[in-house]
Amino acid sequence: MNRRQLLSVVTTAPLVTAWAFRTPVALAQSVNTSDILNDPEAPTFGNPKGDVTIVAFLDYNCPFCKKAAPDLDRIVKEDGKVRLVYKDWPILSEASLYGAQLALAAKYQGKYHSVHHALMAIPGRKIPKEQMLAAVKESGVDFNRLQADMQQQDAAIMGLIRRNSAQADAIGLRGTPSYLIGPFRTSTLDYSGFKEALVEARRRQALSKR
Amino acid sequence: MRLTYRRRRVITMASVGKNLALWLFLSFLAGLSASGGEAQTLRSWDDVFQLRAERTAAESIAVTLSITPGNYIYRDRLTFRHEGRDLSVEKPAGEEKDDPNFGRVDIYRNSLSLELPDIAAKGSLEVAYQGCSERGICYPPVRQRIDLVSMNISDVPKDVAETPKETQINAEANLFSSTFEPGSGADSQLLSGGAMMTIVSFLGFGLLLAFTPCIFPMIPIVSGMLAGAGSALSARRGFALTLAYVLAMASAYGVAGLIAGWTGYNLQFALQSPLALGAAAVVLVLLALSMFGFYQLSLPVGLSARLAGNLQNAGSIPRAAALGFGSALIVGPCVTPPLAAAMLYALQTGDAIRSSAALFALGCGMGAPLLLVGALGPRILPRSGPWLEAAKQIFGVGFLAIAVILIARLLPDRFVLALWGVFILGAGVFVGAFDKLASASSWEARLSKAAGLIVSLYGAILIVGAAAGSTDPFQPLAALASRPSEIGSPHDNMRVTRAAELDKAVAASVAAGRPVVVHFTADWCTICKANEAAMSDSALQRKLATASLIVADLTNYNADARLLMSRFAIAGPPTLFVVDAKGVEVKGTRLIGAFTAETLADRLSLAGL
Repeated sequence: MNRRQLLSVVTTAPLVTAWAFRTPVALAQSVNTSDILNDPEAPTFGNPKGDVTIVAFLDYNCPFCKKAAPDLDRIVKEDGKVRLVYKDWPILSEASLYGAQLALAAKYQGKYHSVHHALMAIPGRKIPKEQMLAAVKESGVDFNRLQADMQQQDAAIMGLIRRNSAQADAIGLRGTPSYLIGPFRTSTLDYSGFKEALVEARRRQALSKR
Repeated sequence: MRLTYRRRRVITMASVGKNLALWLFLSFLAGLSASGGEAQTLRSWDDVFQLRAERTAAESIAVTLSITPGNYIYRDRLTFRHEGRDLSVEKPAGEEKDDPNFGRVDIYRNSLSLELPDIAAKGSLEVAYQGCSERGICYPPVRQRIDLVSMNISDVPKDVAETPKETQINAEANLFSSTFEPGSGADSQLLSGGAMMTIVSFLGFGLLLAFTPCIFPMIPIVSGMLAGAGSALSARRGFALTLAYVLAMASAYGVAGLIAGWTGYNLQFALQSPLALGAAAVVLVLLALSMFGFYQLSLPVGLSARLAGNLQNAGSIPRAAALGFGSALIVGPCVTPPLAAAMLYALQTGDAIRSSAALFALGCGMGAPLLLVGALGPRILPRSGPWLEAAKQIFGVGFLAIAVILIARLLPDRFVLALWGVFILGAGVFVGAFDKLASASSWEARLSKAAGLIVSLYGAILIVGAAAGSTDPFQPLAALASRPSEIGSPHDNMRVTRAAELDKAVAASVAAGRPVVVHFTADWCTICKANEAAMSDSALQRKLATASLIVADLTNYNADARLLMSRFAIAGPPTLFVVDAKGVEVKGTRLIGAFTAETLADRLSLAGL
């Protein structure tokens, strides 16, 4: 083995090792609109036959998500023709992930919405796990069942969170909150902002159908 | 996904070197067409926050974090880890932000500098931070590692506990790609945030275009106009004239944008038709003749006086404006991409006024450097004397060259080479190739004759090369020297000129289960020629060999061609996209305007090629 060969072995060996031991990467999948809008496991509210879907990518430690949450509720309720899909996308802190797990576990007893609102109602941005847990306990959820579901359904819950994250990454969302409203993406909006976005989304949809 | 994102950016960086301005402009266009004209405003955090580190002494380093305006970092979310332990760092007091919604927080804006003592030059230092945008979005925490030996900064891979495992997922490229900003909707004013952004971007890209060859033909016209305005031209007057020229040019674009927005008809296209190009070339030749002082001898007084008047008496502002308006539409060979962009924009928004404003801004940007020529040119040019005559002749030659460029788009390459040969030979004669020298001749005359002879010789070689079948001006005699080589593409392209033919060709390929690369092109489209050269890249040819290549030829711009364009809603040549084996255009593969082999390879890979 001459010096050049030795050199190339020395330099490539770590690369090869790194390649061999890297985390297995899923084969390239494709994400399409339907995957994002119609994930069967994602909590869905509003009018199931609505003409516009709002997809909300949220984090329970995201102050802007909390600020916009009441407005989002209000527009969905008042408009009456909006379908709302929640995508728990815990990116800001470890407690965020915990919050998402709690809320998604509550889904199995039909209480996602109340847990979601309990968590979104805690003001601030650095809410620790304990405070989240306390709020969830007071939200009127069957807590024993919640704990059981959290354990038993862990694979499904984490699977959903990973799917949400992959979808957010795939469409290049930058942070929370991110809302997909019809053909648009947007971040924090107030009530009139949501209203305007819905008008514009409907106009675009009408244009593209023509 | 962020990793894939990066990689793509790295690939495109390679092409940046070739033509930065054009690349920027085209990537802007791509963004524009993908986003339906809405400005992409929220940016990824790696554009928002920038970490730098340098060693200030043997045992201490300085860390600087730059924060783009409109964003901030939470003071308490800025942490340092050194050798596996959290490092307690004296952080400067932040700005107190009192938000009624979520209380008081300490934040940093703009930039933050920290001096960290007792950091030896071994191992690494991890910096973590998290922040938000004032616009109401919080970015995921950023973790970066500073190598304390090399001071290189790298990203720390995402923590599995914090964020779900990364999967490589490709989305349809256009998925939810339009951003919605409140106030940019249908009812909003022209100068709302979104529109303002668009106009500013177009202005900026106009400026970039000004540094590409697009603008070159305009400089001799402006200089010619100023030279023609006479010797007593003040800088202010020159500026005013040029301003009129530039504004008129920008208006021409604005009008084109307006018409495009209203009618969906590509005006530039009409002006690039053989008839318009031919007419423009004739006008330029006449202008050149007037520069040489020929027109009094050969042309009817009325017509020639009017034509020459544009240049000779260009002292009048309306005339400068007329010249600007006319030259904008005819001269710029690079105008198809911006117009295609405006078309897409207008079609997407249905907003003729906004696309018109955007194109006006583009024209202003393109013309801005001309203003310098206008203001400074007259000072640089001599006040009077024979030099001015010489300058006029040079401009005349420039006009002729532009005329040749315009005509070249109508002719086969070989004739173009011959045409250049004739032009260059003529220029050589003018320089003095065949002037008689006497023993008493000055050195200037001798130098001039030598230059003229060399130029003439080159012109003659071009003509000979054209006769031998060459097309390359830099190797005009290659055809004589070598045997016929592999001229033309290795696989047979289908060439279609009608929508029905295109459908048939696509259907045939779909039936064979092959994806189709559809390339809209035209003989008079110079960018298309450059694109074809890029496509001859051997790696690319291997990729393309797995698909059928259909060339949709728009050389004859007639009703058939318009129908052909409407078949896939294209705005003009060059446009290229991939149709998958099901007969559907693969989203994100559409390329409008000039491309490099790398960008094309990138788009093809989107379609799995």
